[in-house]
Amino acid sequence: MNILDINYEKYRLENGLEVILHQNNIHPLVSVNIWYKAGSSNEKRGKTGIAHLFEHMMFQGSENVPKEMHFRYIQEAGGSLNGSTSFDRTNYYEKVPSNFLELILWLESDRMSQLLPSLTQEKLNNQIDVVRNERLERYDNQPYGLAWEILIKNLYPDGHPYSWPTIGYLEDMNSYTLEDVTQFFKNYYSPSNACITIAGNFDKGNAKELVEKYFSDIKSQDKAISLITPSFKLERDKIIKRNENVQLERIYMVWPTEKAFEPFDSSLDIVGDILSGSKNSRLYKTLVYDKEIAQDISAYQYSGKYAGHFMIIATAKPKVELSLLREEIFRELDNISQKGVTQKEITRSKNGIKSSFIYSMQNIESLADQLNFYNFYLGEPNSFNYDLLRYEKATEDTIKDCLNKYFKNSHIELHISPLNGETEK
Amino acid sequence: MKLDRSKKPSPSIELSFVLPEVEEFKLNNALDVIFVHRNNLPIIRLNLVVNCGSKTDPMNKKGLANLFTMMIDEGADEYNGLELMDEFDMLGTNFDLTCNNDGVYISLRTLKENADRSIELFSKVITKPLFDEQSFAREKRKVLTRLIQLKDDPEEIASSVFEYIVLGKEDAYSFPITGFEDDINNISIEDIKGVYKSTFVPNNSALIVVGDISKEELSDKLNNYLRNWDPKVLDIEKYKSKVKESPGIYLIHKEGSVQSEIRIGHNSKKRDKHDFFSRTLLNTILGGQFSSRINLNLREEKGYTYGAFSRFNYFKECAFFYASTSVGIENTGNAIKEIIKELNLIREGVTEKELEFAQLSTIGKYPANFETNRQIAHNLTTKYLYDLPDDYFHTYLDRIRDVSIEQVNKAAIDHIHTENLVILALGNKEKLIPQLREITTDNITELDYLGNEVSII
Repeated sequence: MNILDINYEKYRLENGLEVILHQNNIHPLVSVNIWYKAGSSNEKRGKTGIAHLFEHMMFQGSENVPKEMHFRYIQEAGGSLNGSTSFDRTNYYEKVPSNFLELILWLESDRMSQLLPSLTQEKLNNQIDVVRNERLERYDNQPYGLAWEILIKNLYPDGHPYSWPTIGYLEDMNSYTLEDVTQFFKNYYSPSNACITIAGNFDKGNAKELVEKYFSDIKSQDKAISLITPSFKLERDKIIKRNENVQLERIYMVWPTEKAFEPFDSSLDIVGDILSGSKNSRLYKTLVYDKEIAQDISAYQYSGKYAGHFMIIATAKPKVELSLLREEIFRELDNISQKGVTQKEITRSKNGIKSSFIYSMQNIESLADQLNFYNFYLGEPNSFNYDLLRYEKATEDTIKDCLNKYFKNSHIELHISPLNGETEK
Repeated sequence: MKLDRSKKPSPSIELSFVLPEVEEFKLNNALDVIFVHRNNLPIIRLNLVVNCGSKTDPMNKKGLANLFTMMIDEGADEYNGLELMDEFDMLGTNFDLTCNNDGVYISLRTLKENADRSIELFSKVITKPLFDEQSFAREKRKVLTRLIQLKDDPEEIASSVFEYIVLGKEDAYSFPITGFEDDINNISIEDIKGVYKSTFVPNNSALIVVGDISKEELSDKLNNYLRNWDPKVLDIEKYKSKVKESPGIYLIHKEGSVQSEIRIGHNSKKRDKHDFFSRTLLNTILGGQFSSRINLNLREEKGYTYGAFSRFNYFKECAFFYASTSVGIENTGNAIKEIIKELNLIREGVTEKELEFAQLSTIGKYPANFETNRQIAHNLTTKYLYDLPDDYFHTYLDRIRDVSIEQVNKAAIDHIHTENLVILALGNKEKLIPQLREITTDNITELDYLGNEVSII
């Protein structure tokens, strides 16, 4: 499709920094989006969460930018900014009125080259407090908030880079030192380990000059340490039971599957949609609509650089046993693996995916991030059509094949029940 | 030559920003259509706003508007609820429903190539909902289960109980949109049909359309598909404020909490064109963004929290002001003291530099508020809900620029006070009480998660 064919230019500076430029002059806005190829996967035992803590430190000012001024300069320009950390990568992004492009390149290059001289123990202590509170607010104090980390810890083998949560364990947070932070920067925040995308309203010649001006003299560090992650297989099924401060019981079921962009990855996305993506999806219709044994249901494929898994989550209605939900879910999976899905279900899913691709083109910031995403996993930023084609290619057979390949294997379950052992009457 | 990085670059020449052109017209059935034509992508968004949110819920039937919203897409014309959604899904069209205090909102996002069929289906939902007993019983059970689930959500409990205290139990705006268990049980399918007949009518609504369609085509389609949606004489009781604030210190006990949720504030005057812009800038300085006083203090200086903010919460007919954060439970008392300190300090005045910063950031980010169809539709919804003047968006930047430091300082004195605050903390009681005792010698009122009094401490 033409709309999904994105014009861009990609090149590399001598120090290894990748640059992607996508010009789009509809709005007087420009978005800058940098991916560093480091995430929580790159952490060591005992220092979980440091990639994310590091992301926080990147907002604490650098050699030429006093603390608080990173935010202030951008907000003063009418810009917005943030960053995020995942298993595989850390990103930083800003959206500003186009005439402030140079300001952003100055800020991003200053922290890429000269973060270390401005680091202090005081800043570190402050941000350790902040990320501790972030963890408490978003995980420990949320209903079912610890489910994710319990699941991945049990799903992935000990030491696998996806076996601990990106936010990090509370006990590790107290152990971060300036030395840890410095070392993380040296290992992973080299220009040769990053890709900067500039998207929106700008003059290409001018943007290239500015990138050259601010980034070309940043020295590359040694090559980032690359990870070796052997593939794994769960030996047997495992059921974990936990009592938490919640009102309703909830079941989680998870199977190891494929990495991002591996052959069945897109079919697994479609399976998720056919199971739970709409009112007419199999599990939603049966569990939530017809039988009313679940309050909500979701099923989705998570895929990263080093591994992937498929998860199903269902919350039981009051007085409904989890075993009943489990039975129904397995019955439906069996049903699909024997009889397959219908052409109509696949078409419904494909049409939803196709239109969501087009809707997503509206926001220049998410477009810039998507270009970086494709470049990171596929080496080609303009992969919207390639990506869509993966879904177009899915058939009744590929859906059936991927179910048979993965859902007959061992899996992990987590059952969360209220503390008093009884569900709400 | 080595680059001198110490110098902050200046902006290049400013690019011009052109506001989207808004056209308004009326359909044959008196429905107001607010339309923006945009053809950068082959997509269209429709938002129907009906002026009948939870504020219109009758006594003992709190939660009616929300349940009505859940029912409206459970079948229309020849389709039952599942079939209807299937029709939308096969087109790749997104159909969404929400309800808040001031309105019921029905939105549609469609590709241009499917616009006709999508708008036809959207119109069926509006003109021919089925409201069958079986769906009603199911959706009702879903809400009742949702009420049970809400007990798990500390942020939600703290916010809704805070509103209850700040506005008082009698006011039409003070209760949670999802309602209460007894009230939900009181609601019948006839009540749902009653809402549809009395308030869900074209002359009590506006339709906002943004996207790739011509005005003529749009108007033809709407006049055709919505032809059976007839205007009615409205018999809606005019809002009478029953706001009655109960200042004091409150706590809600939650077993096992590792954090506490804090809400501090008071009721406030409703949105008013005379000082809306100075209040906006005032709050930008105090707690409206990352670099505001409250967040810099509580997060970047003290490390008590992941984030803290303040806001004027404007409903159509009333408003309140509050600061909000969640902190490690041991810092509850400290955080409350710091917030009160900031409220006192802002009343002493802001600096020229702070005002300039707030103005620059508000002006600079304005174009980014019109980037997506959803954002434009949202802005136009706000204009409709608050009866903003036609030149509102065109004069916005000048109105921001014109605000003086005297006006901001007056807004601080007029709209923020620290006597008679409502202070609410939710968390583990044993840990909260000693910290709250340091703040007050007065009574501390313990409430349950619905805002009912449990005890006086």
